[in-house]
Amino acid sequence: MLRALAAALLAVVSLTTGAAELKRWDGGATPPLALEDLSGKQHDLGAYRGKVVLVNFWATWCEPCRAEMPSIDRLRNSLKGKPFEVLAVNLAEPLSRIEKFAESLPLGFPLLRDRDGAAGKAWKAKLLPASFLIGRDGRIRYVAYGELDWSSDAVRARVAELLQ
Amino acid sequence: MNRRHFLQSASAAALAQSLSLRAAFAQDGWRTFETVTRVDVKDSFGVARAWVPLPLEADSNWQKTIGSSWSGNASQAQILHDGKYGVAMLYAEWPAREANPYLEVTSRFMTRDRAVDFSRPDRSLDLSGADRKFFTAPTELIPTDGIVRKTALGITKGAKTDVDKARVIYEWIVDNTFRDPKTRGCGVGDVKSLLESGNLGGKCADLNALYVGLARSVGVPARDAYGIRVAPSRYGYKSLGTGSPNISKAQHCRAEFFARGYGWVPVDPADVRKVVLEEPPGNLPVTDEKVLAARKRLFGGWEMNWLAYNMGHDVKLPHANKAPKLPFLMYINAEADGELRDQLEPDSVKYAITSKEIGV
Repeated sequence: MLRALAAALLAVVSLTTGAAELKRWDGGATPPLALEDLSGKQHDLGAYRGKVVLVNFWATWCEPCRAEMPSIDRLRNSLKGKPFEVLAVNLAEPLSRIEKFAESLPLGFPLLRDRDGAAGKAWKAKLLPASFLIGRDGRIRYVAYGELDWSSDAVRARVAELLQ
Repeated sequence: MNRRHFLQSASAAALAQSLSLRAAFAQDGWRTFETVTRVDVKDSFGVARAWVPLPLEADSNWQKTIGSSWSGNASQAQILHDGKYGVAMLYAEWPAREANPYLEVTSRFMTRDRAVDFSRPDRSLDLSGADRKFFTAPTELIPTDGIVRKTALGITKGAKTDVDKARVIYEWIVDNTFRDPKTRGCGVGDVKSLLESGNLGGKCADLNALYVGLARSVGVPARDAYGIRVAPSRYGYKSLGTGSPNISKAQHCRAEFFARGYGWVPVDPADVRKVVLEEPPGNLPVTDEKVLAARKRLFGGWEMNWLAYNMGHDVKLPHANKAPKLPFLMYINAEADGELRDQLEPDSVKYAITSKEIGV
């Protein structure tokens, strides 16, 4: 009985979406990334050298992707004035669907379009959300597959480490 | 025309800019689908684990995977692969304290019908020696010697090319086997036992595995393709498509053989037998128009109202406590308290799979 109660209590507080963790990247060189945002402006990851960049692959049909977006925005807002940028890459969805999402959830970072999913393939973003933290030297340092609270202390500590 | 050629043409590039890419793809015959798989591991008191097959990772001119995501209360979930064939699966794990382990996996992918034109060989299409060896090798349930080879040699006597051999094996399967509705799931594909019993009844995993075994035993590279039907048939076959968005029991495996000049060629003799047994009003004669049309189309063609998961045999589930190798991974597998649950027993691994087509 006690065990069942304890299990029930733990079930209540357990996460209801796919919890991920930041892991050190050991997957090799950073693939190129040059994509347009919703207004047609080109973003080339190479031009962000010197900054810490969060490259986040997402889709509107991906529930955990949508769920973690506000925490990415909170992280970004908390780092205003620091060399930190977010590039959120939508995986192969029509412009109208991404625009609708952007209207429903205004975000302060650019939403890029991976129209044919080629960038997602190159980055091996098979399980969404797939997030890559890029160091100021342009190398991938951490990766997370699944939903993450990007405004948590643990994540902030990793980003702060890369910003040094 | 493949996607690259499509985008290389100036007019197509202009079209792709003016339409969404998915619309451009749709004009090239591609359809986009989404499947959602919900898994509940029932009555689990210890550590629970689940293995969910994912869409084929390698893109082809008939299927492209966009991506997958998951939600649920698993403490960890990640894409893992079986070593030998690279079978992709989502592996999830729950700690002992989790009273109601559950997982929901959403996958998006595009498919396009396949049809090989045997009048137009392309000499560049060939297999490496290593691949030829790999796809003619036996598996644990598909030996390529003994009764399998003896049967295949008899069937292919006089056939000269790989296409000739593949075709006579296909016709032999259609003429000599039958779909047995009493077979559990899709069958297990124990080819030797099937031939030794003399009772050539089974379902897709039996009949198409028999096709693969017979082909491999006479040196024709072949492989099973495990997957699930995701939409009704557009060719009017009630038995070859889904009847509703709930596709939990729509698992289906197919087969391919490789022929120099034609690449991997899709076949599905098991589906011809399914048309015979199940197409209304049922028990159709092999001379029925619908059977004849299916028989013709399913040598060299697949309607892609079906999602391919993988082409693996003898699959070892990573992190499984003491699970034996599975002949294939087409169903959801789960383990609780150190025991692998029966993948075909709905009370021990409750799952529901739904499918929908995504409009352009």
